[in-house]
Amino acid sequence: MIARRSHIYGVIGEFEKPEQLVHAAVKIREAGYRYYESYTPFPVEGLPEAMGMRRNMVPLITLLGGLVGGLGGFGFQYWANVYSYPMNIAGRPLNSWPAFIPVTFELTILCAALSAVLGMLALNGLPQPHHPIFNAHRFTHASADRFFVCIQARDKKFQLADTARFLQGLSAHHVSEVHDD
Amino acid sequence: MTAPDYMAPESVGRFEQRALGAGIAGVLACGICFFLYRDQFADRFFHSYLIAFMFVLGLSLGSLGLLMLQHLTGGHWGIMTRRPLESATRVLPVVAVFFLPIAIFGMKHLYGEWLNAPAKGEGSLSDLQKSYLTSSGFLIRAVIYFVVWLVLVFIFNRWSKEQDVNREDRALRRRMQMLAGPGIILYVFVMTFAAIDWVMSLSPHWASTIYGFLFVIGQMISSMSLMIAVLVLLSRTAPMEGVIQRRHLHDLGKLLLAFVMLWAYFGFSQLLIIWSGNLPEEISFYRTRLYGGWGVVAVFVLIFHFFVPFFSLLSRDLKRSAQMLPKIAVWLIFMRLVDLFWLTRPEFTSSAVPGLMDVAAILALAGIWFAVFARNLKTQPLLPLGDPKLEEAIEVHEY
Repeated sequence: MIARRSHIYGVIGEFEKPEQLVHAAVKIREAGYRYYESYTPFPVEGLPEAMGMRRNMVPLITLLGGLVGGLGGFGFQYWANVYSYPMNIAGRPLNSWPAFIPVTFELTILCAALSAVLGMLALNGLPQPHHPIFNAHRFTHASADRFFVCIQARDKKFQLADTARFLQGLSAHHVSEVHDD
Repeated sequence: MTAPDYMAPESVGRFEQRALGAGIAGVLACGICFFLYRDQFADRFFHSYLIAFMFVLGLSLGSLGLLMLQHLTGGHWGIMTRRPLESATRVLPVVAVFFLPIAIFGMKHLYGEWLNAPAKGEGSLSDLQKSYLTSSGFLIRAVIYFVVWLVLVFIFNRWSKEQDVNREDRALRRRMQMLAGPGIILYVFVMTFAAIDWVMSLSPHWASTIYGFLFVIGQMISSMSLMIAVLVLLSRTAPMEGVIQRRHLHDLGKLLLAFVMLWAYFGFSQLLIIWSGNLPEEISFYRTRLYGGWGVVAVFVLIFHFFVPFFSLLSRDLKRSAQMLPKIAVWLIFMRLVDLFWLTRPEFTSSAVPGLMDVAAILALAGIWFAVFARNLKTQPLLPLGDPKLEEAIEVHEY
């Protein structure tokens, strides 16, 4: 039986302060790495910009969700009151649009909010039962008191030894490789 | 290297002179209107004057509201806008002088419906209205309103000036924050009564409890728009060049979007309740304003005061653009005038066409207002130099 060789997911480094991580993120980017990810216990200001994160699709998905909710909400009330079950209420016109607005508004908000959350999850590839990063030895600290950066093996510039040395050069602690399974 | 003193650039002085010129032109145009309209002049003058007065009042009071809001909540946008806001609030004494013509000559031309209401029968007032809507009550209340606002303006400007000198005094910041909360409540409360007295009482038989809020939010919109325009203008030259960044505009744009939405929310709430009730006394407000020429104005307001700014301001790029955001802002200031026109004028005429008199009155009051505003801008540094968060607020970020 052939022993299954585990593949390398990447190299992880640890920092004690968020500023060190932000600094490292800039350096990693400047060194030409593109596939790397930061892990922090709380949102670190300036980190997304330091990593060169660009705009994502969530605002557009939210807008589309809101439009679908609003038009759908108004359309459904219009259909119900004018075609499906027309009823004379206090002599008002069947298309009593002012009365439809609150529901339209609420549905706009509901659909926009849901599409924002679901769109964010989908773009992040969540839910994901397992991730190789959890194989990293000290990774539990990422939700407590340490700041991590992991350069992934799929990056063109990735060379296990070089990359590890590079991270150490950025004064990262506990630089180690992360296995894929 | 010495720290910059952030005093206003020369362009502010040029702006002051231009505004003053516009104001004088407006006053002269009012004079021309006097010969043009003769007998009708007094009526027409005060109908237009009320719009212009409520507009410039809103610029000062909206700024007072925003000033207290930024003391209460903090935030870098507040530090960037604080001095322009304070300058705008310090025009309030001039606005109080603008009220004098209404108080002395204008009441009978504006509020005849309750001044000369018949004692009995159609058009008569209820007992409560009879005790509230009296000319002496009207004047006494006006004095109280202005005193309350002027005291708030005085205190906040005073403390802010003290802060410039005494930079280490953290207690001062805390004091401003403590007063800002009650101050906002006081401002909204007093403005509600002022809106009832000065505008809603044009039609004394109609009442709406959200009316004051509509004015408050309208004032906030016009004042926030003014701040955006002023900051973008200032950012073109030293000393503010490079200090005002896209992230500041982004924050101001977000607030403007929120105010536009709130305005629509209040306006629609009033419409929905009155439309659902469909009672003869209440619906009269919309009967005159949603049909004929005024209906056209109503649709115009709906589209250009809400839909167009709303969908434009949703865009992140637009909110961060020093070219586009001030355009939307200036447009909203214009729409504030249209909104005031739509709120007040239908009480007097079914003709929804503005006249020379409207342009003249607005030019006169707004011109003078802006001239005093620019003059106030020159008296102090354009940034609150004593604010503990100033460094953080003007720190240059790439994003």
